[in-house]
Amino acid sequence: MLKMQDVSKVYRTDLIETYALREFSLEVSAGEFVAITGPSGSGKTTFLNVAGLLENFETGSYRIDGTDVRGLSDDQRSRLRNERIGFIFQSFNLIPDLNIYDNVDVPLRYRRLSTRERHERIGSALDLVGLSSRMKHMPSQLSGGQQQRVAIARAIAGDPAFLLADEPTGNLDSLMARQVMELLEQINELGTTILLVTHDPELARRAQRNVHLVDGQISDFRTYEPRAAPDAGLAHA
Amino acid sequence: MQASLLGYYSHLALRSFRRNPGLTALMVLAIAFGVAVCIMTLTVYHAMSGNPIWWKNDRLYTVTMDSWDPNSGFTRGNAETHLPPPLMTYRDATTVLHAGLAERTVVMFESSGVISGTGGPPLRTDTRFTTGDFFPMFDVPFLYGSGWSRSADDPPQPVVVLSRSMNERLFAGANSVGRTLRWNDHEFRVVGVLDYWFPRPLFYDVTEGSFAPPEDLFIPFAWGRALDLRSAGNVDCWKAEPLDTSEQFFNSECVWLQTWVELPDRASRERMQAFLDNYWAEQRRGGRFGRPRDNRLTNVGQWLRDQQVVDNDNRVLVGLAFAFLLVCLINTVGLLLAKFLSAAAITGVRRALGASRRQVFMQHLTEVALIAGTGSALGLGLGALGLAAVHHMYAAAHLGRPGGYQELMHFDRTGVLWAIALAILATLAAGLYPAWRVGRLPPAVYLKSQ
Amino acid sequence: MSLSVRPILSALMRNRTGAVLVAMQVAIALAVLVNALYIVVQRIEKMQRPLGIDVDNIFVVQASGFTDRYDQTSSMREDIDYLRSLPGVVAASPSNGIPLSGSGSATTLTAHPGVHSTDGFNYYEVDEQGLDALGVRLVAGRNFRHGDIEPSRAKNDASSFVSNVILSRATALRLFGQDDPLGKAVYDDLGQSATVVGIVDPVIGAWVGDRHPDWVMFMSRLPSGRYGAVRYLVRTRPGARDAAMQQAESHLSRSNPDRVITFVRTLNYFRDLSYLGDRSMGIYLLTVTLLMVAVTCLGIFALATFNVTTRTRQIGTRRAVGARRADIVQYFLVENGLITTAGVVGGCALALATGYWLSIQYELPRLNLYFLVGGVLLLWGIGQLAALQPARRAATVPPSVATRNV
Ligand SMILES: Nc1ncnc2c1ncn2[C@@H]1O[C@H](COP(=O)(O)OP(=O)(O)O)[C@@H](O)[C@H]1O
Ligand SMILES: [Mg+2]
Repeated sequence: MLKMQDVSKVYRTDLIETYALREFSLEVSAGEFVAITGPSGSGKTTFLNVAGLLENFETGSYRIDGTDVRGLSDDQRSRLRNERIGFIFQSFNLIPDLNIYDNVDVPLRYRRLSTRERHERIGSALDLVGLSSRMKHMPSQLSGGQQQRVAIARAIAGDPAFLLADEPTGNLDSLMARQVMELLEQINELGTTILLVTHDPELARRAQRNVHLVDGQISDFRTYEPRAAPDAGLAHA
Repeated sequence: MQASLLGYYSHLALRSFRRNPGLTALMVLAIAFGVAVCIMTLTVYHAMSGNPIWWKNDRLYTVTMDSWDPNSGFTRGNAETHLPPPLMTYRDATTVLHAGLAERTVVMFESSGVISGTGGPPLRTDTRFTTGDFFPMFDVPFLYGSGWSRSADDPPQPVVVLSRSMNERLFAGANSVGRTLRWNDHEFRVVGVLDYWFPRPLFYDVTEGSFAPPEDLFIPFAWGRALDLRSAGNVDCWKAEPLDTSEQFFNSECVWLQTWVELPDRASRERMQAFLDNYWAEQRRGGRFGRPRDNRLTNVGQWLRDQQVVDNDNRVLVGLAFAFLLVCLINTVGLLLAKFLSAAAITGVRRALGASRRQVFMQHLTEVALIAGTGSALGLGLGALGLAAVHHMYAAAHLGRPGGYQELMHFDRTGVLWAIALAILATLAAGLYPAWRVGRLPPAVYLKSQ
Repeated sequence: MSLSVRPILSALMRNRTGAVLVAMQVAIALAVLVNALYIVVQRIEKMQRPLGIDVDNIFVVQASGFTDRYDQTSSMREDIDYLRSLPGVVAASPSNGIPLSGSGSATTLTAHPGVHSTDGFNYYEVDEQGLDALGVRLVAGRNFRHGDIEPSRAKNDASSFVSNVILSRATALRLFGQDDPLGKAVYDDLGQSATVVGIVDPVIGAWVGDRHPDWVMFMSRLPSGRYGAVRYLVRTRPGARDAAMQQAESHLSRSNPDRVITFVRTLNYFRDLSYLGDRSMGIYLLTVTLLMVAVTCLGIFALATFNVTTRTRQIGTRRAVGARRADIVQYFLVENGLITTAGVVGGCALALATGYWLSIQYELPRLNLYFLVGGVLLLWGIGQLAALQPARRAATVPPSVATRNV
């Protein structure tokens, strides 16, 4: 379903080359909930960007649903992102000039959908995150947790196969973080594959599978039972 | 504001310019062009519409009487003017002259003749035949000598006054008082040489075009009759009458003379008006003046308006210039606002660190003042260049008349004042709003907006 | 279209100051552009009016006698003979006035004696080569013959009329309507008559700005030179004018010590002078209008650039959730289109108001609506062009800025 084979990603600046991903291989199947952990700078965001087609990679191969993404044009990649992938960002990235409704509407606007269908999808996505009463509010009128829930609604409104979340709870307090996590689990249960980058070992432990990155490589991974009890040994490798 | 803070703000402004040099240049240029176009247009407008002898606006009057055709009003270019003819008949003008009611009276016309007898080749030149009151009445400056006295008016003495440029041409600029020249082969003695004198517009004879310089030669009016001369300016006739002999012409209803009087107070003005009305009634009994009574004493300001000396093009251009300046200013306001708001986060940090609203305002106003000041200064320069070009174009239009253009080239004082006022206004207009907007935002907003 | 206008508009409305400022600029620029072009086109039409005169190949000599020994008749005879003998000269005639010069003589004229009229007709006293010297085309009747030409009026004769006149078609139309003017009499204000022997068309008189610059009459008489000067109109073959002018000037200025040659000038000089106001007005209007449109373009460009820079993250987010590059370009073009449209709508009202004011100033017909439509399209197009580069730049924002903290 999502398969990376020996993917390498290099950032070249004037002087140095940084291998953000080093012959990285990973396979994620439909419906999985994968947590990606690792120290800062280990390549977590890079991995998500490559997985989500936000960035290209140098070597290796990457297939989504069996399609090699290497040969795709920019437009085709946009289309894949729009239809198959949903994003949740650490800093929410809501558009400040648009109200909640219009923010959730953004990805749907880039698809051929009837007004009615868009309206229904926005409604049910906002229902799911419990914010349908705030449709007309502006992002600045919401708390951080609420903003992230809007971002989740935006990500799932397009009914994606994958949900990529880059430290979605990084800017939230623990209560809010738990709410967001519960929401993600709920979405996963509805069948969406989730890749979650997080610092928080407690949240990571709640995933089915845990991938630990160090220097752009997987150093250790382990499969957890869903909703497994905390395993203290994993926190920092 | 403390001097040190002003220095600090200027420093910040310079840093800000370096951050967006293109944007800064754009703003400076926009203001510069706006100011330049305005200065150019306003200076030309001012030159064409100003009252060049405003200090005598309540003393100086031109006399007109509606002696025109009983069946139809005076027309110009086949269109009725709804005014008395701007010129007078010989009979009426000399009546006003001989009445001697005014402190000064000028009756005159323009002719042209050939100057010889000064050693150089013969030279045809425009000549004004006028009474001697012309010079004190219009405050004409003299370089050498003076005008002639009333006793030289009648019977006319062979005296002549030269313009400065004509004196340069004929006598190489030397004091020529006492020298002689021949005008159409009649001898005249130089009694005075004018200094540069270039009233704009040429209010005393508006038929010549408002940028024309004054004539180069002045000769007593009565020589006109003695030499049986005709005006080279407008001669407008309406009546079917023979004009063959000199006698017929001078007694005709043709209008061709400018008549000006100096009336220092209300009483003298009323006396003059009463005189005109009496004369009119008397002549009407004799069969003249078939039109409704319309005897006017018109001051210079009103005269220039009546005679439509400012042509429509000029008024339109002034409108255009202001529209252009407005666009430039709006443009600058937009750019400044964009610039200031895009740096709102930095400003927010300043506010959070304790800068007051006023200080933030002043900091931005300093930046604005620098931009607008530079733009306005540049605009002044550009405007001067543009004016030189305009003058060049119009100077070429009056090749027939020598001299006088040194004067027109002077960037006139009122024009500069206008320009500076305009520049300051532009500065304030362009800068106040953006600086105020930025100063007014609560600090939290700056920080949150990023 | 994948983007609809509403969310763009509502985003725009939340940051409207910049947009409003640009829209104001567009409005003023439109009003000025449309009206300036309208005036310029009218001036060009005025300047391109058929003159009927071979302006490029004509020069004018002015001579003034100034001594008692000066005999105008013989001097004129000699001068004209000399001018006609010059190589390349096609025709030469004395004349009281100079067409296109801005100064000349006019008289009233009627088709019936004793009828009152205030119409002024610009007249030229010329000899049998007068029409040729101007190169005007005779469309009916005949030219003056040598025998028609009457001597100059005596010094004490300011009012006698002539026997034969040639009228411009415009003059004939004014006096006789559709009737055939040939052989008819025209009357001056003293009731003296002359016979119309020919009609020329087109032709222009001395005053190009007059309401009827083509009300012209030619009289078969030598000019009197009573105001001190006679003029000679000289027409040459193409290319021969300048040489003939030089020869004429150097010979005539020495041939008679009792008169002076005031000037020898091309007719182009006078024409350019007459149109100087129109030409400089046109140049000035166009320059300022162009500058204004340029400033407005820069304003649009700067606003779009500003919007792109401050919205980098938003653009990245849009790209991340599936916007194609084309969608981003389109977004900014639509946004710009909304702003220009607002400006253009306001500008139409402003343009019409300005046009109304101008029509009063100039007593001209109201603004032609085609100009308005043209101006709207032009500004709209220019606005889109100005926003294109920033929009393109927006499209190069990589989607990964959404995840990278900038
Ligand atoms: N645009 C870039 N240019 C150069 N180096 C980069 C760039 N983005 C990321 N890196 C480097 O790549 C490595 C991986 O970064 P990232 O994937 O953001 O780490 P993480 O998200 O795990 O903190 C880091 O060393 C980082 O410095
Ligand atoms: Mg990261």
